[in-house]
Amino acid sequence: MADEEETNEYRWESGYEKTWEAIKEDDDGLLESNVAEIVARAKRKRAALKATGAIQLGMMRHLFVVIDASECMFLQDLKPTRFLCVLKLLELFVHEFFDLNPISQLGILTTKVKRCVEVAALAGNQKKHIEALQQMKDTSCEGEPSLQNSLERAMNGLKNMPAHSSREVLVLFGSLTTCDPGDIQKTIKSLKENNIRVSIIGLAAEVRICREIAKRTGGTYNVLLDDHHLKELILNQVQPPAVAGSMEASLVKMGFPGGKTGSGDGASDSAADHAPAYCLCHIENETSCLMGNNSGYNCPQCGSRYCELPVECKQCGLTLVSAPHLARSYHHLFPIKPFIERTEVPEMTHCFACAKPFGELDPNVYECENCKQIVCLDCDLFIRETLHTCPGCASDPITAQMKTN
Amino acid sequence: MKLNVDGLLVYFPYDYIYPEQFSYMLELKHALDAKGHCLLEMPSGTGKTTTLLSLIVAYMKAHPLDLTKLVYCSRTVPEIEKVMEELRKLMNYYEKEMGMEQNILGLALSSRKNLCIHPSVSKEREGKVVDGRCYGLTASFVRARHAGDDAVPVCNFYEGFDAHGKEFPLPPGVYNLDDLKEYGQAKGWCPYFLARYTITHANIVVYSYHYLLDPKIAEVVSKEISKTSVVVFDEAHNIDNVCIDSMSVKITKRLLDKCSNSIQILETTISNMKENDNRRLEKEYQRLVEGLRDANIARETDMALVNPVLPSEILEEAVPGTIRTAEHFVAFLKRVVEYIKTRLRVQHVVQESPAGFLRDIHIKVCIDRKPLRFTAERLSSLIRTLEISDLTDFSPLVTVSHFATLVSTYTKGFTIIIEPFEDRAPTVSNPILYFSCLDSSIAIKPVFNRFQTVVITSGTLSPLDMYPKILDFHPVIMTSFTMTLARPCILPMIVSKGNDQVAMSSRYETREDTAVIRNYGNLLVEVAAAVPDGIVCFFTSYLYLETIVSSWYDQGIIDQLQRHKLLFIETQDAAETSLALINYIKACDNGRGAVLLSVARGKVSEGIDFDHHLGRAVLMFGIPYVYTQSRILRARLEYLRDQFQIRENDFLTFDAMRHAAQCLGRCMRGKTDYGIMILADKRFSRADKRSKLPKWIQEHLKDTNCNLSTEECVQISKRWLRQMAQPFSREDQLGISLLTLEQLQSEEMQKKIQQRAQAA
Repeated sequence: MADEEETNEYRWESGYEKTWEAIKEDDDGLLESNVAEIVARAKRKRAALKATGAIQLGMMRHLFVVIDASECMFLQDLKPTRFLCVLKLLELFVHEFFDLNPISQLGILTTKVKRCVEVAALAGNQKKHIEALQQMKDTSCEGEPSLQNSLERAMNGLKNMPAHSSREVLVLFGSLTTCDPGDIQKTIKSLKENNIRVSIIGLAAEVRICREIAKRTGGTYNVLLDDHHLKELILNQVQPPAVAGSMEASLVKMGFPGGKTGSGDGASDSAADHAPAYCLCHIENETSCLMGNNSGYNCPQCGSRYCELPVECKQCGLTLVSAPHLARSYHHLFPIKPFIERTEVPEMTHCFACAKPFGELDPNVYECENCKQIVCLDCDLFIRETLHTCPGCASDPITAQMKTN
Repeated sequence: MKLNVDGLLVYFPYDYIYPEQFSYMLELKHALDAKGHCLLEMPSGTGKTTTLLSLIVAYMKAHPLDLTKLVYCSRTVPEIEKVMEELRKLMNYYEKEMGMEQNILGLALSSRKNLCIHPSVSKEREGKVVDGRCYGLTASFVRARHAGDDAVPVCNFYEGFDAHGKEFPLPPGVYNLDDLKEYGQAKGWCPYFLARYTITHANIVVYSYHYLLDPKIAEVVSKEISKTSVVVFDEAHNIDNVCIDSMSVKITKRLLDKCSNSIQILETTISNMKENDNRRLEKEYQRLVEGLRDANIARETDMALVNPVLPSEILEEAVPGTIRTAEHFVAFLKRVVEYIKTRLRVQHVVQESPAGFLRDIHIKVCIDRKPLRFTAERLSSLIRTLEISDLTDFSPLVTVSHFATLVSTYTKGFTIIIEPFEDRAPTVSNPILYFSCLDSSIAIKPVFNRFQTVVITSGTLSPLDMYPKILDFHPVIMTSFTMTLARPCILPMIVSKGNDQVAMSSRYETREDTAVIRNYGNLLVEVAAAVPDGIVCFFTSYLYLETIVSSWYDQGIIDQLQRHKLLFIETQDAAETSLALINYIKACDNGRGAVLLSVARGKVSEGIDFDHHLGRAVLMFGIPYVYTQSRILRARLEYLRDQFQIRENDFLTFDAMRHAAQCLGRCMRGKTDYGIMILADKRFSRADKRSKLPKWIQEHLKDTNCNLSTEECVQISKRWLRQMAQPFSREDQLGISLLTLEQLQSEEMQKKIQQRAQAA
């Protein structure tokens, strides 16, 4: 991002920033502290929400990300500009998304000049998406966005997806206005009929129609405070949502390409496997990668070769995954049990995980049901969102044994 | 929940209460205990109505002898309906808690237009026409004629009410306008007369200001209300203007021409009657000799013409001889009208006191003060005698008779101004005679004298000390409550300069300056780009709005604005404005966003709420001073200075600031709501203006936000909007701005409330 900042403009040309006010506490102690508290409470709520493991999760997700590319995305309240900041964070999001939802598909749309354009079709190839996002950096932002057009477009793409998958739209909306050709209420209605969940992240302020769309389709609506908050909000969308209503359970056909790590035991494979081949994900590009003998994965159904997993086979449409991918989404199904919130535990003065002494700031501590260890709020969230395993249980040989059994 | 307010058990129909509601109850109870008047300011959206109702009903139940009736005066029909809804909720709660029917009767009263159920009359749109047609069907002589001749139409509903309605009083309960109509339909009784009859024994009456303040109506409708009542004026920030309007008369040339026609009709009717039925005229003459009061036997339906003078001033004397016979009176009227006509034939502005006018009329056409005083009474008596059933044509003549009576009754507190043309169009001759009341205390004085407690309340009454002065009364309690908030949900800012540092102001000297207009435009464009959904702007006058919009159009600001939001403009045409409003709401609802340009003191600024997304920001362009060149205003200012020692400037600022506050309050209609308030005029930051804003706005107006430029203002707004957009639920409010019963009773909160009461 450094080079962009150089080419962009001088500091004195950018917006008016009162940085000193960000750190200052309010006179009457109302404003900042209060908002901070609300954010902290939201954090706790998030932790509580994640803990509930019994609900069915829509793990096979079809998600359209709609990026607002209207005029207002050139504003510099996010650095370097709203647009670049959002793209950068989306790259991270795409990566995380496929990491945690390996059997899902993603598409990217942009909206500007009252129209909606597809940047990347619904597919399971993260490289392509990231490439598309990087290419977008050079495009311009102009005109007004159209919520209705984008939602209609996304709906058309999602309508025909199988019923057992979760259909979602995520809109990153910077503008405060939308220029629609028709009645958006009808669009909301048909979104609802099609079981499409629309979540919106506003970049400027609360727009009523966005709140309404999110509320009626069962999604979430949030407005950022700053870029850190935006990152948090975007990454919140990585977690698969709980299934709303009835979604039929069905078997999904998947391919597990054989992993070839060594060169010796390839006797059973056909000759085609060993022949040098173009990787199918890059075959259209000029910079196609020629793979060596033993790297890459072959589709068990048609034999096409891919350099990376997970991917949807271009030839036969089979979803190709590897076992570790599935294992990684396993924690969605069996999350660790929620820690019990305690107001005070006199005998423990330090967090078990990070060894930080419990301060006056946050009176609440969290106890694991299994190992009875006490952690602080931050560690609780870290365990829940990143580790997916309790350090207390893991370090205790007996409980660890139990878990593996 | 059940509350203990200073020893009084109050049933409050909600599970949660705002702290300021509790303080409000405390103050109100003190006023009721002291049997004195009070002045209470509490921000809109904090549940004033339900607070008032629950305390007063509880007080009525606890002290049935001290307080018998609640008269709740509101401004518009929708507001009346809202009050009835709250009352119904309260009564349902009482029933649920006490497990039995409550012996309380509450009802709303409105004009015939809103209550009529007669199949053809109720179809009429205009209030005056409905009144006239109703009179034509229910006047006593029409009914007498009907008794002799079935072909004369009468109103069956009124007949039904007259036959049975008075024996069976309305069962206890809460009746809004629709309930009354339904009840009337079911029983075949006229709801309007039923309601008017019921007022005398109902416990709670809800109606419009005019039924109490306008002496013409009050005499008929509210005469019977007992002294031990509490009168509440809600939304009373403009009460002085209502008082003044009810006592003022405006006479134009056209009106006088119509008067001449009416007089001709009177003449022919009289001569016809003389030939056919001279007896009646003679009978009337006899009655008038005996005295006016006896002549006017109380006949409720004959109320269409009444004396504009206050009840206490009604003369108990006989009508003077000069106008006793019908012909003489008509000739007298003719002289009066002709005299006024000659007075209107002026080339320059004339300002005169009532005494001067009386002297002049005496010299020119030999009319004494005394007969003039009886004009209104005499006219109504004549019309009754002549059995004229269609009154709509006579309204101009009635206006003139009111004028004649008023001008000869009051010598102080009124002025007469005759303008040959409007200031704006000095070449077009359009003479108007204004008979203007200068003293708002005249109309309201009988109310203060008659009732033991009068409560004046509104969201914006600051500065409070002005009202006792201009209404001439002594309140026992005078308090302004603030709004306790869990988050700072209003953001008032004073923007004094544009990005180019040119001061923004609507001062007369600079208002034509393109730099100022451009800065106003840029401010609006930038705010429109930063604020979502609806923005409402207020200008100081229609004229100023028009000039600004046209120069914005030239400067290309309108184009820039329309890139962000749609633009709607309030005009003087009510239909056009309501169409604009509907589309404004539509644009806000579907996310396009809209800007509404309107005028302080206009329709939008008074009656219409822009809650939540409909008004995320309010911009006040300039200080909404009244048109200071108006002669009526000048006369009033002079009067206020001489009689009440109120300096001109103080009153002007007070008036401007209450309207500004009223406009700003449009966007804030509850605790979950939030809105930006931008005061775009350099002069707002001066102490004399700032300190006159309501306390609840002042509290959030920080010193740092008092002298901002456009850019700073937009930066602050952006950050604030993001903070306000964070999720906010009821739990966040609990304990701070929303209390359960336990929280209210906790010692800490009680202490806080005590402190607040002392500070206030």
